[in-house]
Amino acid sequence: MPETYLTQSPRVAWRVYDGEAVVLSPDDSTLNTLNSVGTLIWEAADGRTPVSAIVARICEEFAVDAERAGRDTLAFIATLRGRGLVTVSETIPQAR
Amino acid sequence: MAELCLGIAGLRTAVVTPDPDLAGIVRGRFTGFVSSGPADWRLEISRPPGRLPSAGDVVVRPDGSPTRFSVQRRDFAGTVDVGARRADVTLTPDDVSLESFVRILYSLALVEVHGLVVHAASLIRDGGAYLFCGPSGSGKTTVARLSPDATLLSDELSIVRTTGGPAVCFGTPFRGELALAGADRAARLVGIYFLRHGDRHEVLALRPRQALARLLPNVLFFAREPDIAAAVFRVAAGLVDAVPCFDLSFRPDPGFWEVIRNA
Repeated sequence: MPETYLTQSPRVAWRVYDGEAVVLSPDDSTLNTLNSVGTLIWEAADGRTPVSAIVARICEEFAVDAERAGRDTLAFIATLRGRGLVTVSETIPQAR
Repeated sequence: MAELCLGIAGLRTAVVTPDPDLAGIVRGRFTGFVSSGPADWRLEISRPPGRLPSAGDVVVRPDGSPTRFSVQRRDFAGTVDVGARRADVTLTPDDVSLESFVRILYSLALVEVHGLVVHAASLIRDGGAYLFCGPSGSGKTTVARLSPDATLLSDELSIVRTTGGPAVCFGTPFRGELALAGADRAARLVGIYFLRHGDRHEVLALRPRQALARLLPNVLFFAREPDIAAAVFRVAAGLVDAVPCFDLSFRPDPGFWEVIRNA
């Protein structure tokens, strides 16, 4: 499996309160409230951290097995992507 | 050509019109908010040359640049250029059309100075401003009516700014059911209360995340462009971080002030 990288959309506004992120969708201005695992993924979506490293952190911080963490992370990334909140690439995106 | 300067929430707008009737409507509707000093914005008003383009609800669309918007409703058609701080509108000469356009203009103009127009009643009491948020029917006018010893800033649309220092709530000329303009006063915002009718008075503290989700639907904002929506989000997020927020259940008597004081 090739490595993948997540990048937050630059048009998204967000804020973390008490360890949980609130993210505004750029297309329809809906609010997305992320739980602590989702917030970990969101904050790691910096375009440089491989998804495999994010999954490893989830396993470590939330005491879940790698298979479940990987499956849930990919599903969550698909949701974020579908809402226009992140882009996914197989190489580290060039800084704009 | 008539020109007068409106000052609302510290933002001054030079209103210019060649039409004496429109000038009279501006003076009448915004009595108490006529200002002096250099204007931050310029608004040109005229009558429509013919029929206005038909648009029932307010439609705000980008108009050739990221900071310029066309603003239309059945009774007015105009543009607001946030970058140039200029606006123009042709409108049916009545005070409702005029006030509606000015509401929209200020909702756009305030964002860059960290301000929001909020569906809320606001009052000054004991030197501090209290904001009571909610949609139509939630009790904004009731709260204002039950507070004769407070200074009314608005019973319908309030303005809050967070530019440096504490959040400040400003009086507005925008009228609700009381049909009264607010006072041209401002005070430090000491609490935001999200209204709901109940059978007793009760105040519950909200966490900032909860408050943000309650506040954003009450922000008057028509443009859907991601950059501006993000700017509104940032102002609102800063506001709920800086000011204590509460859910306020109340029944129609002045006792709600007691539970606010004791919260």
